[in-house]
Amino acid sequence: MDTVSKNKWPIIIGVAPALLIYLVFAIVPILISFYYSTMEWNGFTDMEFIGLANFREALGDPIFWQSLKNNLFVVAASVFGQVPVALFFALLLNRKLKGGKIFRTIGFMPVVISTVIISLVWGMMFNSRNGLFNQLLTSIGLESWAQNWLGDPKWAMISVCITIIWQFVGLYLIIFLAALQNIPEELYEAAEIDGASGLKKTLNITLPMMKETIIVAVILCISGSLRTFDLIYVMTAGGPGHSTEVLAMYMFDQTFSSTRFGYGSTLSIFIFFFSLGLVYLATLILRRKSVAD
Amino acid sequence: MNWKSRGMVATAASAMLILGACGGDTESSGGSGSNGDQVELTFWNIWTESSPQNEASKAAVERFMEENPDINIVQENIAHDQFKVKVKTQAAGRQLPDLVQVWPGAELTPLVEGELIQPIDDILDTWDGMISESMFADYNVDGTQYAVPANVTPTSLVYYNKDMLAEAGYDQIPDTYDEFKQLIEDLKAQGDIPITLGNKGQWLLQSSYISTIGDRMTGSDFLNDVLAGDAKFTDDRFVKAVEVIQEMAEMEAFNNDFNTLDNIQHRELFLSKEAAMMIDGAWSLGPIVESIEDEGNLGIGVFPALEGGDGNPEAVSAVTGTGIAINSELEGEELEAAQKFLESFYSEEYYTELLESDILVAADVEMPEGASDSLKRVAEIVNTETTPVYDAAVPVDLTDAINSGLQEVSIGTLTPEQFAKNLQDIVDSGL
Amino acid sequence: MVQTTMSDRATAYEKQAKKRKFTKKTLIYLFLTLFALVNAYPIFWMFLNSFKDNADFAANPFGLPVEWMFENYATAWETARLDVYFLNSIIVSVGAVVITVGVGALASYFLARFTFKMNKMMYGFFVFGLLIPIHATLVPLFILERQLGLLNTHIGLILPYIAFNLPLTIFILTSFMRAFPKDIEESAIMDGCGVFRIFWSIILPMTKPAIATVVILNFINNWNEFSFALVLINDESLKTLPLGLTNFSGQFTTDYGAQMAGLTMAIVPILIIYMFLEKHIVKGMTAGAVKG
Repeated sequence: MDTVSKNKWPIIIGVAPALLIYLVFAIVPILISFYYSTMEWNGFTDMEFIGLANFREALGDPIFWQSLKNNLFVVAASVFGQVPVALFFALLLNRKLKGGKIFRTIGFMPVVISTVIISLVWGMMFNSRNGLFNQLLTSIGLESWAQNWLGDPKWAMISVCITIIWQFVGLYLIIFLAALQNIPEELYEAAEIDGASGLKKTLNITLPMMKETIIVAVILCISGSLRTFDLIYVMTAGGPGHSTEVLAMYMFDQTFSSTRFGYGSTLSIFIFFFSLGLVYLATLILRRKSVAD
Repeated sequence: MNWKSRGMVATAASAMLILGACGGDTESSGGSGSNGDQVELTFWNIWTESSPQNEASKAAVERFMEENPDINIVQENIAHDQFKVKVKTQAAGRQLPDLVQVWPGAELTPLVEGELIQPIDDILDTWDGMISESMFADYNVDGTQYAVPANVTPTSLVYYNKDMLAEAGYDQIPDTYDEFKQLIEDLKAQGDIPITLGNKGQWLLQSSYISTIGDRMTGSDFLNDVLAGDAKFTDDRFVKAVEVIQEMAEMEAFNNDFNTLDNIQHRELFLSKEAAMMIDGAWSLGPIVESIEDEGNLGIGVFPALEGGDGNPEAVSAVTGTGIAINSELEGEELEAAQKFLESFYSEEYYTELLESDILVAADVEMPEGASDSLKRVAEIVNTETTPVYDAAVPVDLTDAINSGLQEVSIGTLTPEQFAKNLQDIVDSGL
Repeated sequence: MVQTTMSDRATAYEKQAKKRKFTKKTLIYLFLTLFALVNAYPIFWMFLNSFKDNADFAANPFGLPVEWMFENYATAWETARLDVYFLNSIIVSVGAVVITVGVGALASYFLARFTFKMNKMMYGFFVFGLLIPIHATLVPLFILERQLGLLNTHIGLILPYIAFNLPLTIFILTSFMRAFPKDIEESAIMDGCGVFRIFWSIILPMTKPAIATVVILNFINNWNEFSFALVLINDESLKTLPLGLTNFSGQFTTDYGAQMAGLTMAIVPILIIYMFLEKHIVKGMTAGAVKG
């Protein structure tokens, strides 16, 4: 941020197109939605202003709290599952390697595949009657470890999270790979002259240089997890009971199944501010840590 | 130049050209109108996949257009789940098409209350003597008719594999619940899954189980009484009906993955003879008859009688469907065209075609020669007595609570008493 | 420097190093192979099952097809109306990607490399977009587009796609551009280059890996986007692929074989774009890569 332009016009011209489209087609709709949150509205008959009643209802709604709890679980699994695994494989792949391109491509595949397929395949692997995991466990004599993975409230959330981690590792993998290209070769060369080994180079040069990108990844993880919807929707439909219900799904159902547009909007506000709080918290923690270094 | 910038400029330019070319037509969604001498009507339905019913329905539309060249029906086929989201969004923007497929009960009432669709009472005499009043009832709101039913769908049939039951020493579904439980034990003992169940979507236990089992105990006026405040879900009879479901789950009457399979996967367990019985709606009849090796081996019955129940022990829950409603904004020439369409769409020919595709119809038309024995059996069952399906009789938020609550009862995280109390709380808070 | 007496020890050392290098390589390949297997399997599974009929799929979901149903692809092509929807998807996805990355990169450049009063606020404002649950915007957006007369047009779909992908685009690009050393523009300014010229000939080429990344992510998002397409488009001739791909499942039936055939065909364009751009993401290490 070194270039200080005395002339403001280039900045305005440069930022305006993006800002304009973003304002009209993303911000305006969400503001209108926030406005709905003060209404009782089924979409068919006239709206009725009810003030903060929807917010009070949400705070006293046990399914809302259950969804939030489940959702935080997804956030934690994503941040602590996806980011380290992706980083590990990005570092492994960030070298001259025969077949490297193939591995990178395959690593990215889960991001590309339709969630319908993912939920079908993983659903079948988790199946309690003839699924892969239970068969594996049985074949190595651990029959007692076999579970009704998706049908048991104790395990359903864990099983879903494993699938989510798997689904998005590839996304962070390519972000990390792209960031690794940004690290100047000279730094490594200098370290090599100092006799640094591979691991040392990784710890002392690569990771610190990757700090910004890791923060980016963590933020994407948090915001993505709090909006997670498709996969769980097709995989468990929130069940059994509400044991895998997450906020975005509950909001969707309230909006389009129960046609409570006002209450749905209220839930979306909560999603927005929870994300904001978590993102803020994460940045705070990650930045402070780096100051301590 | 760097990074193929020329290529990028070229791509951008061509994209702009494409955009420019396609951004021109800005016709509104509900957009209908007269095009020269032709009246154009937009029509949304869920006939996406090539099932016999969908083919017959689409053919009926084509037939109408051939007979009426001055009317053009522009269809939009949208898959079922997505259809509901789309209709609700566009209804909120008051942009429904001229003709829209509607479902009875909780789905229909808001459309009526929002005055988005209009009555069709004027043309009802078209079906005099063909469709009885009771069949019309699902699409009737406060004495006004909004759509004509095409099919009548019992939601709670007990399909069974005759060979597998014979092996256990039974030739049909027992008449009493106690015997039925014995049948389940016997089937388990011979290594079969007694009943296949795929309740991932949560509605199956409601639509195919509690709708009939509940009625066995409570009788058919119960839901209306509850909604009117004259009865309560905490009624012993209702709790007992829920206990039946709980008991079946506890005695392992179902495949143990019953909450992770969907209603299509569970049908496959029945077809592959891993399961001896399946409690499911008539929507499965067509697919079963189509895939089963020997139709003679397919038995169809109803859920057994429950001791101490107030309902008719032979009744089955059923709902009518495939109604088409007319947009309330239609008038004049367009309204006439829309009415003409309904009159000719719900024709004897269409009903006969549905029967031939193993779909039971709401109209009183003769069974065609090609109709399957299974369909005739279902017709017999339906002729006894039909009772309301829960999700068509109660408001949506209650349906949601019933759906997820029954799933919890089935895995033992909720007791039938607590479940009944939760439902009653919802009723009370809404009154 | 060459000491003949040391040569023996040197070769021994080299041998050991070689051996270590070999075990390390083996270990890396072992990890990567495992990773690849786990990741590739579902695609392989989908491809295999796209040749089965429903009975076969239900009876043996993990085996080879009993009978290879090549006609599933023809059914899928027809049911999902791929002939029309495919082209629409390409128009909408490519159109949105080009504009998003174009205006997004430009905005990121100013946000990352310039100090001005509103900078931080504006950046934060864009990042907010990452937190918006899109289903909440469906009804308002529908009503908004109706008033703007944008319903049922390609552009009416492209604009929200741009708006909802800009946050991710700007977020990633800005973080990249900020990481560049501070003195890179200085010489250019000395040469009298304008700010836009610096963006075009210096910053953009340096951001290539990140641009390639966001192009891929944008394209995938747009290509798979479903909800907006569902509510904003009514005209059959303007619908996009994800809408067609839902046509396989009715209320009570699903044609699994055809569905998987359709989904298999649908990922081909993403794969092509990925293969095409992947070399830019990892330009440095691919042997024989041409420097920008």
